[in-house]
Amino acid sequence: MGAPVQNLASRAQKSSLAESSISTKRHNRHLFSNTMFRYYFLFSILALCLVLGLVIVFIGKTALLLFAHLSPLEFFFSFNWSPEEEAFGAAAFIVNTLSLTALTLLIAVPVSVGMAVLCAEIAPKWLKGFIRPVLDLLVGIPSIVYGYLGLTVLLPFLRRVSGEGLGDGLLAAALVLALMVLPTICRISDDAIIAVPRKYRDAAYALGSTRLQVIMRVVLPAANRGIISAIILGMTRAVGETMAVVMVIGNTPQLAKTLFTPSSVLTSNIVMQISNVEFDSTWNYALHMMAFLLLLISFVLILIIRILGRKRRDAA
Amino acid sequence: MKIFKKFTVTALTAVIAVTASFAGIAAAADSLKGKITVNGSTALLPLTLQAAKEFQKLHPKVKIAASGKGSVTGPQAVKKGIADIGACDWDASMDVPGFKAFEGQVANKVAVIPFATIVNKNVGVDNLTTEQLQGIFSGKITNWKDVGGSDANIVVVTRAFGSGTRVNYQAKALAGGDITKKEKNYKETGSSGDMKTAVATTPNAIGYIDLVYVSGGDIKAVKFNGVEATSDNVINGSYKIWAYGYYMTKGQPSGVTKEFIDYVQSKKFQQGSLKKLKFIPISAMKG
Repeated sequence: MGAPVQNLASRAQKSSLAESSISTKRHNRHLFSNTMFRYYFLFSILALCLVLGLVIVFIGKTALLLFAHLSPLEFFFSFNWSPEEEAFGAAAFIVNTLSLTALTLLIAVPVSVGMAVLCAEIAPKWLKGFIRPVLDLLVGIPSIVYGYLGLTVLLPFLRRVSGEGLGDGLLAAALVLALMVLPTICRISDDAIIAVPRKYRDAAYALGSTRLQVIMRVVLPAANRGIISAIILGMTRAVGETMAVVMVIGNTPQLAKTLFTPSSVLTSNIVMQISNVEFDSTWNYALHMMAFLLLLISFVLILIIRILGRKRRDAA
Repeated sequence: MKIFKKFTVTALTAVIAVTASFAGIAAAADSLKGKITVNGSTALLPLTLQAAKEFQKLHPKVKIAASGKGSVTGPQAVKKGIADIGACDWDASMDVPGFKAFEGQVANKVAVIPFATIVNKNVGVDNLTTEQLQGIFSGKITNWKDVGGSDANIVVVTRAFGSGTRVNYQAKALAGGDITKKEKNYKETGSSGDMKTAVATTPNAIGYIDLVYVSGGDIKAVKFNGVEATSDNVINGSYKIWAYGYYMTKGQPSGVTKEFIDYVQSKKFQQGSLKKLKFIPISAMKG
């Protein structure tokens, strides 16, 4: 923006003195608006960083108060969470969160990557034009809606199939979550597969590969970093999801020994109990610590995505 | 799109109209002014909101901000000086299971809240005694046939520890008995609405809830020690599962806060709006 304006200004200066004062004014005006925009953007970024910083500081500060009342050993390794007896062992929630995420990905990844391949490689144009907008719509559905469907449709179904009295538990939560992360993983993998250069496929076909071989041996390996990023992005959503999980997991603070044990994960336990705690209590600090743990987990996952992204750029 | 636009326009018009009408009311002259903040129990929130609306109509210069979160946040907010009134489902100036007394706070009774034991519509049992309920919620009785029903596992649905409804239910219906978590057929819910949905959609489920929530064909209230859960039975003293709803204040209420509490306790409000909201007037209780 700056250079052409200057050119214009200098040309104008040469042409006549009267005009030059006008164009200098215009030049200054542009300069001014450019600087203002720069400051505006800078301010926006700084405001965002400030908010992020505040979140980390305040959650962290309250969370760390916990260890003045409770040994980290008990918090991380005890499976007994009974606020009524002043026992705050979060191990069950941590293990449940990890196993729920793993189970979710186990269900969602094969399906969503398969769908991505279908979208990018196999489906005819009209089908692609149908699937992609539908997936985009699915991404935007609020989680409470998924949760409600889980409660009213999935749970009765699971009860009938398994013969359990309740049906709540890891399996129900994982199925709902899988449905939720499926479009995310699928759309991003789709983009990653499309980004694989056409020449790879042409070369593989020229060597006499079948379509299956091209997909399995050439396209997927070439797109694997993008697909892994997609999976991790789905994972962050699964780890942090609250409302949908609360409605189908049973919300009982205990280790999920079977797929149908009513249990609780970090997020669901926080949302269930936070409105019932006293401000200055070990209970409150323990819940904040759990929130801080969630922050850390998602931070680590995002970090992994960034590193993978950089590697991919280097490799390309 | 057009429909959405229409909706937006209608909504905006409505908002503007409401604001304008409030502004119009505010123009009337009145001596009483000030600001009251109410925090705490969601069970009492409808009552507080209704009372605030009427009170502000009478005294336009008084501003009342009411919000609901959980029972214990009420007295806490009062203690910290955030709120003038802390709505709480139990008398927070005394110890209750799980929560210590809040020193120096005064409990002002504002309403009677009845609770009911509810079961899914497929459960054949229509009466449970205190002992039976104690057995069911502590996990000693696990099959409906042990309490006169058909041969099916009892699914216990309960509120999370710390809920005001749970505090009252344990105190009144279970006579202080425990609610014990189990590995199967046991689930906790976060709100009265969730409780209702859970019991309504789970066959063989039992739970407990504010009586106002009992409606629809999927859940039914069971008799407690042979007495039906109705407002009349609460008033005549035969139905025991009920509790007072309290407004907690720091010391005796004064000034505009006192005026507001007086209004909520007034005969006009208690017999009018409060009854319409299906609470029971405090004056109806003997003693």
